[in-house]
Amino acid sequence: MDIKKAVITCAGPTQRTLPLQTLVDRQGQTNTALSIIAAEAVSAGIEELGVVIHPGDEQAYALAAGTHASRITFIEQAEALGYGHAVHCAAPFVGGKPFLLMVGDHLYVSAREESCARQLIDCARRESCAVSAVQATRESKLPYYGTVGGKLAAGRTGLYEIDLVMEKPTPTQAEQQLIVPGLRAGSYLCFFGMHVLTPAVMTALAAELAGNESPRKVTLSGVLNMLSGRERYLAVELNGRRYDIGDRYGLLTAQLAIALSGKDREEVLTGLVDLLANQPRA
Amino acid sequence: MSRLVDTIRASDAAIRNRSLEALVVGMECEALLAECAELEGFRHKSENLYERVRALFFLFALCRFHLPNQLAPGANAGLIPFEGYEHLLQRRFEEAIECFLVAQRQAGPSDALFSGLATAYHRLAFQTLADQVRRSVRSVQGNQWMFRVGHSLDHPLRIRNELATKTADGSFPLLYEQTAVRMDLTHSAWSDIFFLGMDYPEGARVVNVSIDLGVHGRDEKPRPPVEAFVRVIDEPVLRLTSIDLGATAEICELGEVFDFARDHLGLLKAAVIAAGIVPPGLEGSGQRLADVLAQLVGPGLGLEIVSNVRGIPKGSRLAVSTNLLGCLISACMRATGQATALTGPLTEAERRVVAARAILGEWLGGSGGGWQDSGGVWPGMKLIEGVLATETDPEFGVSRGRLLPRHQVYQRNEISAETRAKLQASLVLVHGGMAQNVGPILEMVTEKYLLRSRAEWQGRQQAMELLEEVVAALRAGDIRALGALTTRNFAGPIQTIIPWASTAFTERLIEQVRSEFGESFWGFWMLGGMSGGGMGFIFAPEQKLKAQARLIELMLQTKHEMEQGLPFAMNPVVYDFAINENGTHASMLSAGTALLPAGYYTLIVPQLLRQDRRNLSPVRRAELDRFAGACRTRPELSGVVQELFDSLMPRSSSAETAKSDLAGLLVENGFDRFQHEQIRKDLRDGRIGLAQNRLPAASQIEDVRDEDVARYEDLGAQAELGNELLRAGTVAVVTLAAGSGSRWTQGAGVAKALHPFCKFAGRHRTFIELHLAKSRKRGRSAGRAIPHIFTTSHLTHDAIAQHLARVDNYDYPGPALLSPCRAIGLRLIPTVRDLHFHWEETPQQLLDEQQQKVRTSLRAALIQWAQKTGEGSDYTDNVPGQCLHPVGHWHEVPNLLRNGVLRDLLAERPQLRFLMLHNIDTVGADVDPALLGWFAQSDAALGFEVIPRRVDDRGGGLARVNGQVRLLEGLAMPREEQEFHLRYYNSMTTWIDIDRLLEVFGLKRTDLLSPEKVNTAVRNFAAKVPTYVTLKEVKKRWGHGQEDVYPVAQIEKLWGDMSAMPGVSCRYVAVPRSRGQQLKDQAQLDGWLRDGSAAWVNALCAWE
Repeated sequence: MDIKKAVITCAGPTQRTLPLQTLVDRQGQTNTALSIIAAEAVSAGIEELGVVIHPGDEQAYALAAGTHASRITFIEQAEALGYGHAVHCAAPFVGGKPFLLMVGDHLYVSAREESCARQLIDCARRESCAVSAVQATRESKLPYYGTVGGKLAAGRTGLYEIDLVMEKPTPTQAEQQLIVPGLRAGSYLCFFGMHVLTPAVMTALAAELAGNESPRKVTLSGVLNMLSGRERYLAVELNGRRYDIGDRYGLLTAQLAIALSGKDREEVLTGLVDLLANQPRA
Repeated sequence: MSRLVDTIRASDAAIRNRSLEALVVGMECEALLAECAELEGFRHKSENLYERVRALFFLFALCRFHLPNQLAPGANAGLIPFEGYEHLLQRRFEEAIECFLVAQRQAGPSDALFSGLATAYHRLAFQTLADQVRRSVRSVQGNQWMFRVGHSLDHPLRIRNELATKTADGSFPLLYEQTAVRMDLTHSAWSDIFFLGMDYPEGARVVNVSIDLGVHGRDEKPRPPVEAFVRVIDEPVLRLTSIDLGATAEICELGEVFDFARDHLGLLKAAVIAAGIVPPGLEGSGQRLADVLAQLVGPGLGLEIVSNVRGIPKGSRLAVSTNLLGCLISACMRATGQATALTGPLTEAERRVVAARAILGEWLGGSGGGWQDSGGVWPGMKLIEGVLATETDPEFGVSRGRLLPRHQVYQRNEISAETRAKLQASLVLVHGGMAQNVGPILEMVTEKYLLRSRAEWQGRQQAMELLEEVVAALRAGDIRALGALTTRNFAGPIQTIIPWASTAFTERLIEQVRSEFGESFWGFWMLGGMSGGGMGFIFAPEQKLKAQARLIELMLQTKHEMEQGLPFAMNPVVYDFAINENGTHASMLSAGTALLPAGYYTLIVPQLLRQDRRNLSPVRRAELDRFAGACRTRPELSGVVQELFDSLMPRSSSAETAKSDLAGLLVENGFDRFQHEQIRKDLRDGRIGLAQNRLPAASQIEDVRDEDVARYEDLGAQAELGNELLRAGTVAVVTLAAGSGSRWTQGAGVAKALHPFCKFAGRHRTFIELHLAKSRKRGRSAGRAIPHIFTTSHLTHDAIAQHLARVDNYDYPGPALLSPCRAIGLRLIPTVRDLHFHWEETPQQLLDEQQQKVRTSLRAALIQWAQKTGEGSDYTDNVPGQCLHPVGHWHEVPNLLRNGVLRDLLAERPQLRFLMLHNIDTVGADVDPALLGWFAQSDAALGFEVIPRRVDDRGGGLARVNGQVRLLEGLAMPREEQEFHLRYYNSMTTWIDIDRLLEVFGLKRTDLLSPEKVNTAVRNFAAKVPTYVTLKEVKKRWGHGQEDVYPVAQIEKLWGDMSAMPGVSCRYVAVPRSRGQQLKDQAQLDGWLRDGSAAWVNALCAWE
């Protein structure tokens, strides 16, 4: 499986400004979130990036992409018609090939030398099928994520065969349908914000969008759920963590995580200790 | 090897289902005790829940029904270790059993110890079953997460955007859910009890129909009987309102959500918790409700949840409360995205979650129902059946069946639309008006099924076969056959299993309907746990209208005739009904239509009008404006303004009318206001009270010696003298019939004497009829009728007089006289001190965990009520009959002297020398010649009958108090444990020598002609008799069959204290339990029937 293209969605009305936020990366360089995400993809062997944006955002994004700008094709989602629709906007860009799908409001810190995107793409190549990265997540976070149910792939650690995908399930649904053996009670496999998908997804999205009165009702999770019944589709737990910079204090947490895993670790730790030590008493 | 253990463990159903009776036939005491030891060992070893439980029921039945009969007469009286009793009260059943078994090893078996063991085994069996159901409810997938959420930030639910988005006029939209109730076409022979479905899922099957209801003549057409509303509000509170109960609360603290008995909103709170809005894991977490709501709804926002039952009375046997719970849970689940569709019906998976949550809600609220009760959530007609647990179920390996049954909705090709229409055209649904506690019946059924009692088990098999026939009749569209089947079910299996499912009221109705409608009456159909409330009558369709009109007349008339003896909560009603093909169903109301029912505004608006408009939230102000506008334009709101005025400025109320009636009754009954004020002062000042009832702590209280008590078994030789005295007409019977049977009907205020409590010789008999039948038989064999006197009170006199006139004294051949009361008291609001004393200083039965929480909450509310209403003030907020009280049975004998009844009887029968006085509920008491002979020879003024104590016999006993043999009331016992050192319990049956008693009062027979002399003598003597303060529970009825129970204080003088009065010579005799047993609680009836006591009593009677 040859994966050379990545799609990054940044058109959501509430997340448009997030990829433009500035952080200090692992090397100590000041970079935008978009640039860090693009670097993650490129490190995994991605050559072309399709960034789905709100009309009019191109200039700011091109600026924010920095050195990666030349690899980027901007794809406008003319109207905010939901995530499924946004992904489908990139269908011509993908052009019938497998692709890496990422979101513009998530940053990743790998616990290994290989980046998270690299780990995922390696897995997809090995298994020759669509793979979604997942992370065991407490049930209180279910309102924010697509969630998968399935079972461990025979003889493999951290690799799951997906039976069911639900978008933001309630804990009741999760408990009834999404329990995965091996996880702690109340923990579920939630999307990591990173998938390797086959062209079949674009075909299915197109069919769903055409057959549904309201495009907003077409979710990527719904289509991935259909996909799980049609072709081999796996989930993998990567050796790393995701950080949602759209959360409250999400940007701060992501920055700390990146900094603590990079070259300025000592400096940041010292700063934190100093901050704690000099905290005025309440 | 034990036959009983083998039976429990057998894999072959034919062996496993053998009945205990058959297995122990012919076994003697030693063999039975050996079986007990085997069972006791087995139950500790077995890992299977139902094997353990069945062993416990076997042990219970052996100790309750089989072993006591095997004891030698001398081994009857024994002692029950107080420590074991305390364990029982604290629900430490294993410890209690161990304590009783140790005592049995040390002192040998006794009736007393068997009673303690039987109680402990019985309760442990039910506790084990209830614990398992609770565990299963928690472990149902979809419920588990709610017990894990312990912090507001962990709350995983969010309100749906559609509800959180304001409409154009600034209001939040309203989610509106309507749900049917359910009726059970087959009567499942109670197989829908959770325990039974989990033990024997093959036997748990019902045909359950969702229906809409309307009250015939009141409502335009049938509608879904329960409805719920949910909306977002702009205040960070949980606002709960029950329109039908007239209760509303704004809850700001998390703890209040779990405080179920604080107000009438317990069911709404249970729904809020069971739906996951406030997950049960948050109880006691110290979280702020506002934070939970902020996470769920948004900062500064809250939720309002409103419920309404459209005038359907409580006790309808249509599972109204479970379906209301289901309705509320459905609405809350939709609102928080736990159901896919915000409006319309639910999916099957969602309905199953609602059913599981409704069970959870019932457990939280301390109530319980059957597994078919949430049937109204499903559409139309369906078969609900138990399911064998499989490896994926949490019940697997624990019980044979799953907690939740399977619902299979019948399609039109199975039961046609025509059949459904025919059913509606033939069935008349009614509520007979009786409200009864079916809890004891459900326990009886469980116990009998698990024992595999022969007749009951066969009855169950028949009921299962009948279900198949019912389904066949429905498939064939044959409603007439259906009527015949439901009638057969009621007359056959149902009453074989539980004789108490039928009532005299039901049988009279059926008889009348059958005689009036003849062939057009196709059948009777019992709904739910017992008859008397919700019932069905099936008629030829052309007769339905006539039948509806006639049934209401018949029910009202029959109720009028029987209401003095049977507890009715309301007037009977006839329903209009229609099959509901939707199940639970929701819609959205927004902008102009987003108004709640009119009843909501009549409840809420007066409170809002009292506030400054500026303090109301913008959404509230907008809603008031919208409501005001709607009142002008919407015809259904036309009368609301008038109701609002009435609510703001109440006119003279029925409460005031009741007060004037009460005043009249007090005057009529010679109420002594001066003495009453003295009592109030003493009560308030702490001079009298529950603590002051007790004898000084230094009193020496010991058990009597053997020589202090004669034994009935030794009195055979006295029978000849007794027979002579009977023939000579020297004896009369006095039955105490002044009471309302507080425990018998939980304070319903009926005349217990008139309660048709049990069927003898083919029909229900009242206590009065039973006592007259015994006197008739003794009189007949003596050749001389025995005069029979019933003492009455303000509460019972007219009712008993009218009843006896109506039945012509049951054709009693001798005088049947009434002795009216001459003393009356006015109940008082109890002091907080006495409430605390009663609940905290006297041994109380600890309830099951959740029920105990509810009880604690209720007690806090009652203490507030007492403080708010005024401790020691008159209790007048009820019907007059419930505010007055008889002042204790001590007064009944002096009354005989004061009211002239004894004077006249003696004038007519100067040979009369003895009275046999007994309680209305001592059903085995009769003029036994041996006892009469014994007493006549004793030369005593009074002869008291006592019985060997059992664990339930609480309230004193026969003791040596500072060396004097006397009866000691439980109220006067300085320490609770002292009662457990006394072997004998007072049966209250007393033999009285008339002349010696008169002497005690300082009177002679001739003095009875002088009322003044009699009054002075009685007053002087009364002053020496102790007065007790007691707490009684009274019911206050309101709304549609709703009842609240309040503790009230009253004062009493008790007859047993005569044994302590100087100069009164007394003798004591121990009689068998069958003679001395008092029936205080209807739950006792089944055991009394099964242990042979009922047959023994029947043999004493001549009914004609």
